[in-house]
Amino acid sequence: MTDDERLAHFEARIARGEKIEPGDWMPDEYRRQLIRMISQHAHSEIVGMLPEGGWITMAPSLRRKLVLVAKVQDEGGHGQYLYHAAETLGISRQEMIEALHSGKAKYSSIFNYPATSWADIGVIGWFVDGAAILNQTMLARSSYGPYARAMVRISAEESFHNKQGIEIVLALVQGTPAQQAMAQDAVDRWWWPTLMMFGPHDSESPNTPALVRWGIKTRTNDDLRQEFVNQTVPQAQAMGLTLPDHELHFDKSTGNWRFGEIDWAEFWRVVGGDGPCNRERLQARRAAHDDGLWVRQALAAYAART
Amino acid sequence: MTDTQWPRYEVFVQERPGRPHQHAGSVHAPDPEMALLNARDVFVRRPECAGLWVAPATAVHGGSAEELPQLLAAPRSQGGSPSNEYLVFAKLEERGTLTHVGEVRAAGREAALAAAQEAAGNRPPLALWVIPAERVERSLPEEAASMFDPSRHKPFRNQAFYHIQTALQRLRRDPSLIANRQSPEARR
Repeated sequence: MTDDERLAHFEARIARGEKIEPGDWMPDEYRRQLIRMISQHAHSEIVGMLPEGGWITMAPSLRRKLVLVAKVQDEGGHGQYLYHAAETLGISRQEMIEALHSGKAKYSSIFNYPATSWADIGVIGWFVDGAAILNQTMLARSSYGPYARAMVRISAEESFHNKQGIEIVLALVQGTPAQQAMAQDAVDRWWWPTLMMFGPHDSESPNTPALVRWGIKTRTNDDLRQEFVNQTVPQAQAMGLTLPDHELHFDKSTGNWRFGEIDWAEFWRVVGGDGPCNRERLQARRAAHDDGLWVRQALAAYAART
Repeated sequence: MTDTQWPRYEVFVQERPGRPHQHAGSVHAPDPEMALLNARDVFVRRPECAGLWVAPATAVHGGSAEELPQLLAAPRSQGGSPSNEYLVFAKLEERGTLTHVGEVRAAGREAALAAAQEAAGNRPPLALWVIPAERVERSLPEEAASMFDPSRHKPFRNQAFYHIQTALQRLRRDPSLIANRQSPEARR
């Protein structure tokens, strides 16, 4: 078979809804895009443990602490599922971790914002996990078998992440004026960065057409972002919280909540490494890796015993 | 030794007693015992596990439907005992994963793969693996309680633990529950 015939065969398989498995022929660009996406996704889970991990010891009750520990633990596990899925494409975990630690690899920009109050833990679950679940539910239908299977597992496990966050916010909005103000402040700070999580507009997203054609993604950034806004506005209204966008209004003709323009300069600045916490996050990851060296050495020595 | 690689182990999870083990992913570990423990930590944070197997990735022979013709045509290794046991894992559904479907006995991994393919009959698998039974490290029934029971006592990992819709509906019906609520106009 020529490469053109292979490509036609590959695209026909995807059109029939077949899953591509490790070892199957795939275009180099499909492999490259998948490695980029899956490793970024894995890094996001791992770095995503940091903003919330800092609040474990400050959780306001034992129940909240148990829940937060379980959530952060899930994120560590989800990072591992995803590193495995990327490994099936021929990249090593070592290469991926080095790319993260050197600053070469990207991860979701949302984790470069600080979690400065307990309300942030609620709003992260409500907004950030709510947004992530929409993306993950789409990726569970991805054409690459190992990625889709990891996403099915992750989506099922993460639904509680979103709910526990809403539960925290619900408690705050029914609390004292100071607690309500804390919830509103967290909403004000996390709303726009969450909308940025879905990535650039479709018109500015050079990867999207190939990703959709090959079934890696089945929906576009703008489409997912709109669904997130539509599901979140009524929740905010019920909780008496104001989303920080004066242009937000309901469009009867489309049934969508229309929202104002995202500050893309901020998005690109944070992606480029100049967000509030980029340096701190990478330092924390490198330190964790270096501090764990003696554990890896001890395990290797134990395994080498005869 | 300073890296994070270590050998890779494939992980198979049995969700309930009597169900087949299914491929869930992989972990890295310095030895089979640690691989089993890592697999428990990574894949069993929920109660859906009755048994766990791990096998070194290097012990796996097989591949996807596209790779199988070439693998089946490869020359067979010589000298093994024909009574060597291999575990067979097949992916039979597009949305499925590699699932334990049985055992074959063969003198080597190539013969084992051929026997597994033949056993599949007129339902050719979408992916097929054989692994020597002796290379599979299995959780022991007597260890099941200490391995898997901790995940049973964490109901808060289940979304049904949270009654969000009920709470939101209650607030919609009775906004006075948000007693100190500020109107959007007041904020501006």
